[in-house]
Amino acid sequence: MSAHSHVEKELVNPGSFHASGRLKGVLFLCALVGLAATAGAFFTDTLRAWPSFLINHFYFLCLGLGGLFFAAIQWLTGAMWSAPVRRVSESFTAYLPVAVLTTVVIFIGMHDLFHWTHPEVVKGDIVLEGKAPYLNEAFFIVRNCVFLLAWLFFSHKMIGNSLAQDQDPGNYRFNLKNRVLAPIFLVVFGFGFTFTSFDQLMSLDPHWFSTMFGVYAFAGLFYSNLAITCLLTIYLRRKGHLKEFVNENHLHDLGKFMFAFTVFWAYIGFSQFMLIWYANLPEETGYFLRRMDDAWMGFSLVLFFGKFILPFFWLLPRAAKRSESRLMIAGIFMLIAQWVDLAWLVQPEFFKDGPHIGWIEIGMFVGFAGVFGLTVLRFLSKNNVVAIGDPRLQESVFHHHQ
Amino acid sequence: MSSNAQILEGVVGFFDDPETTLEAMKKVTEANYESYDSYTPYPIHGMDDAMGLKRSPLPWITLAAGIAGVSLAFALQYWTSVVDWPVNVGGKPFNSWPAFVPVMFELTILFSGIFTLLGLLGLCRLPNTGRKVIDPSITRDRFAIMIDLPKKVRNSSCKPFEESEVTQFLQSLGAKDVRKVYEEGWF
Repeated sequence: MSAHSHVEKELVNPGSFHASGRLKGVLFLCALVGLAATAGAFFTDTLRAWPSFLINHFYFLCLGLGGLFFAAIQWLTGAMWSAPVRRVSESFTAYLPVAVLTTVVIFIGMHDLFHWTHPEVVKGDIVLEGKAPYLNEAFFIVRNCVFLLAWLFFSHKMIGNSLAQDQDPGNYRFNLKNRVLAPIFLVVFGFGFTFTSFDQLMSLDPHWFSTMFGVYAFAGLFYSNLAITCLLTIYLRRKGHLKEFVNENHLHDLGKFMFAFTVFWAYIGFSQFMLIWYANLPEETGYFLRRMDDAWMGFSLVLFFGKFILPFFWLLPRAAKRSESRLMIAGIFMLIAQWVDLAWLVQPEFFKDGPHIGWIEIGMFVGFAGVFGLTVLRFLSKNNVVAIGDPRLQESVFHHHQ
Repeated sequence: MSSNAQILEGVVGFFDDPETTLEAMKKVTEANYESYDSYTPYPIHGMDDAMGLKRSPLPWITLAAGIAGVSLAFALQYWTSVVDWPVNVGGKPFNSWPAFVPVMFELTILFSGIFTLLGLLGLCRLPNTGRKVIDPSITRDRFAIMIDLPKKVRNSSCKPFEESEVTQFLQSLGAKDVRKVYEEGWF
């Protein structure tokens, strides 16, 4: 609007971010501890190790893939507000190659995780025999690989364009290229992520089905991605790297996004629950009955209050969305809530006696977090922490005042 | 309108561009008059701060309305399906709260929306038919700052309104045109 009044300063490239040796050491230690916990778990308690691995594998897959999804919608819409934080989101895609490895581990553990992989279980079961053309080991492996490789391809292309723009500042052609790629990716992502969540989470109970399950998993993906994008943005801002680029209006926008997708998750989650509860069909209700019996009801309530009610009221005031410290609390809390959600999706299919959260689950999480942190830091140390060549950056930094 | 019965409402200064208006507004706020306002063809970023406006209480009205909506929706459904006319639907308990949630959600949104609009109208004292358009150009390409003659002095620490002084002051801020505004009746 009154854009002319601002004196446009030259933006100084903050360059790449080199984490302190101590932080890298801590993350490396986390990865080692996690590796030891994972090995220990598989030797002592295979029954708990596999579900725990699945939870953490899917959790970090969502964080890595979510980074690409967030960046893709910015390219597609030509968003101006997000220009200073888009590279932060892009950095999470550095984890995706690791997700290929963990997916391969899931393939190895198929027989322990998915009981539809056992021919003697399928034989004579009308429902599972009917689903066999889709739910069989070969097709499962093929489609999960195809989706993952497709995402890696788009990540390579789109992040590549974004990084190439750093070397050729202001060249709008890179924005145009990504604006062509982004919608194609989003379609591939939409189908791919839906089927990935069907395969890896929903088919834990192969008799059950919900056409909303994909969007439920997506709600969690974007929820956690926004939280971690916000956290890393604030971290880099405190380290001084984004100080000149991100002001409280950008944080406010991120906070609004976090708030919106808190509501979105509750809306989707409740819609899925209510339709099944209302129709009361025997083949559908088992999934929720298991989560509402004495052993699991408490955990379900923790999920509902922790993932929706608390962040909703915490993020409701305008001041909370503009304050670094209050957003940080929200972000950390939301990341925990997303983990609880995945545990809620996975564990009731294995344990009738309530949630199991102990050294196996936490140890593996710590390990994955260490690897995730190291891959992201490696990306940030090799590339600029802000998309310095984006023609919209100037506008976003100086004109995003109210 | 007879000219001898005119009552002075205030003095208005016209500016040609938003930057000067914004700077002038900061000075007007500093001068600490009891009542003043700006009229611009489109929103100017930073004007709220320049006018020294506080945060609007509107979000609280929205919150209260939302809570009223959700409570009323639950109360209505509970009363009709549990107290007044219980009907057995599919063997479900009378107080089947999950079935109430969609209506609770909708009424939350409806009440919040309606009372946000009504609250906005109330806080802005709209509709205001008592005031004529000071000049059509302020809806097109000019910007105006008006310093009002307070009908009643509420805050004695404010700077008193003195017509000639205010006229000079607005001119010194760069107003291209300064006029007196007189009260008019309806229409």
